[in-house]
Amino acid sequence: MPGSASTTHRPEGLIERLRSAAADGGEAKLKVLRELKNQIIGNRTKKLSYIKLGAVPSVVSILSSASSSVDCLLIQCAATIGSFACGVDAGVKAVLDAGAFPHLINLLSHSNEKVVDAGARALKMIYQSKAAPKYDFFQHKNIEFLISLLDKNNENVTGLGASIITHSCETNNEQKILADAGVLKKLINLLQGTTSQRDASLESFATIIKQNPEVITKFVGPENSTTFGSLLELTKDRYPRTRLLACICLTLIKNATSSSSSSSSSSSYLQSVGIRTKLILVLLELVDDFGQVGDEALFTLSSFIEHEEDLQKLAFEANTVDKLCHQMQKESLQAKRLEGIFTTLGNLCSNLEPCRSIVLQSPKALIIITDALTHTTTDVRVAACICLKNVSRSVKYLSAGHFMTEAVIMPVIQLLYDASTSVQVAALCTVSNLVVDFRTHKSLFIQSGGVKQLVELSKSMDSTVRLNAVWALRNLMFLVDSRCKEEIFMDLKLFPLTRLISDSNACVQEQALGLVCNLVNGPVDSIMYLFTEGLLLNTVGRELRRASKPQVLVQAMYVMCNVASGKEFEKEAVMQQLVNEDDNNQSIIVTLLQSDVASLRTAVVWTVVNLSIPTGAGALTRVVKLRNAGVVSQLKNMVNDPCLDVKLRVRTALGQSMTFGDFST
Amino acid sequence: MSLFWSVIRQLAEIEAMATSKKVITRDEWEKKLNDVKIRKEDMNKLVMNFLVTEGYVDAAEKFRMESGTEPDIDLATITDRMAVKKAVQSGNVEDAIEKVNDLNPEILDTNPQLFFHLQQQRLIELIRNGKIEEALEFAQEELAPRGEENQSFLEELERTVALLAFEDVKNSPVGDLLDISQRLKTASEVNAAILTSQSHEKDPKLPSLLRMLLWAQNQLDEKAAYPRITDLFTATLEDPAV
Repeated sequence: MPGSASTTHRPEGLIERLRSAAADGGEAKLKVLRELKNQIIGNRTKKLSYIKLGAVPSVVSILSSASSSVDCLLIQCAATIGSFACGVDAGVKAVLDAGAFPHLINLLSHSNEKVVDAGARALKMIYQSKAAPKYDFFQHKNIEFLISLLDKNNENVTGLGASIITHSCETNNEQKILADAGVLKKLINLLQGTTSQRDASLESFATIIKQNPEVITKFVGPENSTTFGSLLELTKDRYPRTRLLACICLTLIKNATSSSSSSSSSSSYLQSVGIRTKLILVLLELVDDFGQVGDEALFTLSSFIEHEEDLQKLAFEANTVDKLCHQMQKESLQAKRLEGIFTTLGNLCSNLEPCRSIVLQSPKALIIITDALTHTTTDVRVAACICLKNVSRSVKYLSAGHFMTEAVIMPVIQLLYDASTSVQVAALCTVSNLVVDFRTHKSLFIQSGGVKQLVELSKSMDSTVRLNAVWALRNLMFLVDSRCKEEIFMDLKLFPLTRLISDSNACVQEQALGLVCNLVNGPVDSIMYLFTEGLLLNTVGRELRRASKPQVLVQAMYVMCNVASGKEFEKEAVMQQLVNEDDNNQSIIVTLLQSDVASLRTAVVWTVVNLSIPTGAGALTRVVKLRNAGVVSQLKNMVNDPCLDVKLRVRTALGQSMTFGDFST
Repeated sequence: MSLFWSVIRQLAEIEAMATSKKVITRDEWEKKLNDVKIRKEDMNKLVMNFLVTEGYVDAAEKFRMESGTEPDIDLATITDRMAVKKAVQSGNVEDAIEKVNDLNPEILDTNPQLFFHLQQQRLIELIRNGKIEEALEFAQEELAPRGEENQSFLEELERTVALLAFEDVKNSPVGDLLDISQRLKTASEVNAAILTSQSHEKDPKLPSLLRMLLWAQNQLDEKAAYPRITDLFTATLEDPAV
């Protein structure tokens, strides 16, 4: 009779015996429970099939009816329930639905330590799942219970306490409640315990201090130097996971305190170059681990260096770029690892040209990054795209046409069609960068159909997508030749452009006006785009009178300034927009000249300079109109403007208007 | 002129000092060693650590009573751990798995690689015992799903199932799986996992101390001649070769 051993293990048979054991009781219970436990431990598929067959309620009913004196039965029940909950969200749900929770809590106060162990392990498994219920820290008795767990001299019980925190503490208020209740201190004490206690404590410690400068300053400050010292010490621990968690805590401390307003205490956290370098080296070494620890080490390293160029330099000097370029060449890397590599490289290349050089000179690195643009995982596509964007910030390689190749451009354009908004935004930022500054190479992008999709995205309901699409168009329009300009304008069309100028989002307006500026910049005939049906100039003029954000006004004024550099017809059109003689209110020019924003005053004075050039049939009339509108006397008040640029242009404008004699007398 | 020569002579002396090794006599050496103080309790702890890690439970118990040195883990768990190790070494893998699960259900639930290797060992034992149909069924039901979850498990599984394909398995390219060393490998993996779960290091400290001693001597050999220990068994100081 072949396979006898396996056939008795068939789930259906075991379930039958479990049910009858739960109903009849007796000796059979223990045996069948143990059998079930040994079937499911480590075996995800079996867990799922037993859950489906309804095994969990039977186990819970055995637990609930068991006398508290039958220790081994309690232990087997708890172990089985714990295993169902371990690593399988459906299991956690089944366990909770069957009402196991209160029974497991009861086990924690049992006199037999082994029963307590089993109960705490099962509860810990539940809290390690996202499917677990949120623990309410706002109730005083809950905090008391939590502290009682952390005070127990049992690693499973303290581990349970730590897991509850890691799972449920999310908001700043919750962090504060826990810190004020003395939880951080207890966690620090647990760092002296066993490996598992140490790791669990570090993890929940990180949860409590994450992005909370207030808690950090109060509980982890220099006056609590032992805490800080313990964390530093643990970065040298024997276990990689412990080293990683210590680095995560230190990174959180540094990031939270350096981003908070430059308080004096922040200077004392992790400022020593020695410690900073050390931390980078520890993380880099952890990156060699190709498991979860290595992946998390990459993200920690990336977040550690993210906002500080000094740290990026240290990481560069520690050969991070070479290491990552080397690592990305490895075959069949997991998605998480690729994402981590691209994110870290992206950060390093955001400021430092030497980093970009290494990436671009490393064999195949650019190919691997562009290949990852079509990766099946969204996060990898985003990370690769941002990495490409930052690498392409190298003016040297950018203007050498290094990126305007089909191999790079085609996948990036493809990402503009991506179903995920985050990918689209990353791709738009990358396009913005790639198209910015190389006259001769732009046509490839235009011919590849990129403009059509940019225009499409500029109509998006999502303002971030819209903003970045207009931004990309603006950069594409920068110093482009007339033929390309015409093609872009044909795709963009007049009406959508006027709508973008009047967009509800001021940032979009600013970019749209910048786009118009670039459109009318260059050869004089470019200005004609503004007069197509006379609409565009009117819209810009209206925004000048309506908008309040200085950046929008600056861009709008530069559009006027560019147009005013044209011939008589164009100059007159600008005059009509800016100086209305029928209007008794103060001229918009005078109002804007009085602005606090120097860049805005500069733009206005430039426009006045262009309008008052003393050649051309209408020159005299224009100067008279400007004078009547009070512009000249306003300029006279500005001859000593604090902004040098303004001061110089004011003198030019005044000089020009004087050419026709000073009518003020 | 005279200054030139004196400089040259000085340089030559420095050179000689750099190349000739310093000689330390046995007397001097023993005197130096006597100045190093080692606490008795530390020695006892090292011995206890060795006994506990290697699993000599009876010796550890005796040593505890005679020396008063407390072991850092419950001695009863050593018995359990040794029972698991022995079960794997003698091919009773199912028994070993049940024992590990009784000891701590988290070990196999959170260590997929170890779980896979134990199941693989179970498959190897079935094949060794000629239970071919059972082996096939077991591979299909228990191991195949793990292979789907992990590429490297799949490769190992394929290699193991290949045992069925050879008539003369011992001389086949996968013959090593049937070797006793495969059992020992699996047994030591389980042993290490249990020790780690008990926050205990998986290797005793004594061997690493001895390794450190040999390494330090090698470093010192380049700079000095001294009475060194070559035979770790007798630990006798040998007169320096001058």
